[in-house]
Amino acid sequence: MLNVVFYFQVHQPFRLRHLNVLDIGKGTNYFDDALNEQVMKKVAEKSYLPTNALLLDLIKKHEGRFKVAFSVTGTAIEQFRAWSPQTLDSFKALADTGCVEFLGETYYHSLAFLYDTNEFLDQVALHRELMKTEFGQSPVTFRNTELIYQDSLSDLVFEIEGFKSILTEGVDRILGWRTPLYAYKNYSKDVNLLLKYYQLSDDIAFRFSNRDWPEYPLTVEKFVNWIDHLTLEETQGRNQFLNLFMDYETFGEHQWAETGIFDFMQHFPAEVLKRSHLGFALPRETFELANYQQEALSFPEPVSWADAERDLSAWLSNDMQHNAIETFYRILGRIRQKGDPELLEIARKLSTSDHFYYMCTKYFTDGDVHKYFSPYDSPDQAYIYYLNAMADIEERLED
Amino acid sequence: MKVLMFTWEFPPLIAGGLGMACYGMVQSLLALGIKVDLVLPTKEMVYFPLREVGDVDTLPAVFVDPVLHKEYESHSFESMRERLEYIGISGRPESYIQMDEIVEFAQAVREDRWQTSFTTMAEREVFAEVAKNLIGDEDVIRKIQEYTQRAERFARILDYNLIHAHDWLCYPAGILAKKISQKPLVVHIHATEFDRAGGPGNERVHKIEHAGMMYADRVIAVSQYTAQMIMSRYLIDTAKIRIVHNAFSLSDESVTSKKRIFRGPTILFLGRITLQKGPDYFLETAVRVLKKHPEARFIVAGTGDMARKLLRNSASRKLQNKFLFTGFLNRVQVEEILRASDIYMMPSVSEPFGISPLEAMAFGLTSIISKQSGVSEVVNNAFKIDYWDVDLMAETVNHLIENPDECLKMGLAGMHEVNQIHWKEAAEKIRLVYSSALSEYIKSES
Repeated sequence: MLNVVFYFQVHQPFRLRHLNVLDIGKGTNYFDDALNEQVMKKVAEKSYLPTNALLLDLIKKHEGRFKVAFSVTGTAIEQFRAWSPQTLDSFKALADTGCVEFLGETYYHSLAFLYDTNEFLDQVALHRELMKTEFGQSPVTFRNTELIYQDSLSDLVFEIEGFKSILTEGVDRILGWRTPLYAYKNYSKDVNLLLKYYQLSDDIAFRFSNRDWPEYPLTVEKFVNWIDHLTLEETQGRNQFLNLFMDYETFGEHQWAETGIFDFMQHFPAEVLKRSHLGFALPRETFELANYQQEALSFPEPVSWADAERDLSAWLSNDMQHNAIETFYRILGRIRQKGDPELLEIARKLSTSDHFYYMCTKYFTDGDVHKYFSPYDSPDQAYIYYLNAMADIEERLED
Repeated sequence: MKVLMFTWEFPPLIAGGLGMACYGMVQSLLALGIKVDLVLPTKEMVYFPLREVGDVDTLPAVFVDPVLHKEYESHSFESMRERLEYIGISGRPESYIQMDEIVEFAQAVREDRWQTSFTTMAEREVFAEVAKNLIGDEDVIRKIQEYTQRAERFARILDYNLIHAHDWLCYPAGILAKKISQKPLVVHIHATEFDRAGGPGNERVHKIEHAGMMYADRVIAVSQYTAQMIMSRYLIDTAKIRIVHNAFSLSDESVTSKKRIFRGPTILFLGRITLQKGPDYFLETAVRVLKKHPEARFIVAGTGDMARKLLRNSASRKLQNKFLFTGFLNRVQVEEILRASDIYMMPSVSEPFGISPLEAMAFGLTSIISKQSGVSEVVNNAFKIDYWDVDLMAETVNHLIENPDECLKMGLAGMHEVNQIHWKEAAEKIRLVYSSALSEYIKSES
């Protein structure tokens, strides 16, 4: 049996205003509320609302056989509350079906794991509470920001009450000859690992509307045929998991409605379920479904799902990014020590990984992607605004 | 006396210090009763007949084309800004080399215009030099071509006693006007290509600068430092050179009292971020000071072609949130940042004058200025250090941080000193330069 495991990332950062040095010390709001509201409303209308409606329909229609997982960040939920409460309601409606799993992550979609263990644990706990209050679920599956993972992360997650599995990228340099279709264990065999099948995930997320792609147009029949082919390999009765992980905004925002992405999704579950050896599973179910001795995989260096490199270089490759993030964690340490809850909340919105992503200067193939997602003219501008926020918050800290 | 003046900058058309200097100078010349017809690189073909002191702010304009002028006269403008936009002046922050909107050229300067009836071989050489170096398609060269062509028209229709041209962009205009009118030409050196480039620079610019100074009756240098440069690099006859230091007058609306942004000592770099201004020496100083005084904050205010490089360099030096960039600041914002700072640094590699330390001192900032600057000739209450001696600069900043009373005292003394420097005296000197050029001219006529 091969189970399609869908996980969608739902995230919106609090984008920064064009902060000037002269704004420092004036109690200026760091965040561009107007822009954030505009983006949230646009994405809700184009993506979240229609896709949620579609998934709700599909779940009802297939009576429990179609299921999906979401990871929804705290910063996204705060912005739903502020500017699109109906989106939040539609996620709650999905939660009520019982066919939707909500994953755990850092509330602020941060890189805290790499810099501050206590902050990381606090942000995971905050997110855990949020999932409980908003969707009535206590997450058992963890995914770190942008699927960043390494062995030491599994040690930390294992220590947190409740988590049994972690999702990450099926990186070739780790897998070698192995397939990402089986469930693995972390290096110490304490935690379950599910690996993104990036070829097929990216066929939907990135290549779906690309007319230069030889496989264009991607039809449901073709795609399910490819999935079917994966089962031809001898499995000796072992359950396989095809992990299709992607940004939720793929539906309607990165791939516009005109590309046919909604039609694709509408017909996909039925086409899969036509075949008795194919089905859908939630990440939390894979733990039970893995009917074999799971092999341990070691990730000595961090991996992620970003860019061609699938490492940390999207956020941490140039001097601006390093200086900005090191400054942030130094100041955050001081704020945590001082225990000012209001300042801590503001600071944490600055921990969101997107701020560092905007400073990326890798302007090769991935540069286009970075540019698409950035609200600023250049990485240098993003850096300047961020440092000004850092300078301001340090002044506030002295108050 | 009436002067036909060519300049590339005049407020609100400002890229650097040139515009502010022209403003102060013209204002004071008007106060001395000298009338000025000002020609700027405007989009429309206009000149500005300045007669009263207040005209420097209102900028009355005349269109050369009477039909267009009538239209302009009958137009009612909501604001000064709207009126200036109509004429085609906009306060572009970028250096004049990038003023993209002043475009649209009818034709390139025709070489034949430069080759008519030369009285001397020397004159022929000057014109050949300018013509040769003005050929080109670069934006700035095309703008100068256009400006120069218009100068011919102005030179013929206006009535004046003398021509005054500021910096190389306007020299071809000045040369042509002199040729047509046979009136004396004064060129004013605010900066040479050697200063701007921080090295040899562009040879074509040298050639035009040289031609301008050769053809001029008087050459005004903004400092001893610049005069030395003119003599040694351009080999100009010392008898023609006069030194008139720039001055600085604070506007009446300026508030100079301290209004801090940062708790820690704040050190300011204010100016274009270009090689000439030595921003990298500012960074090196910051690196050294912050090791000892992490509470200090270094602010870079301005824009320029080295901004990105400086930003990236500063990031690599891991100065955290203690080395910040403001980007371009307007007048009001410049005053805001001055009020928020304690120490001003001008580590220019080569600075013919450098007005901004005077402004900083007028706001009570303690100034550390490059020895390689003209302004160091006119102020005493400032630290004068070789631009490359970053260790000494860092020691000085540290000393001032550790002795805030001394820093404050020096700042106040500097403020007092700068308040004594007026454009009035500078204008008086310029008037003398005009008179001597005119009397020579009259002598040669008779």
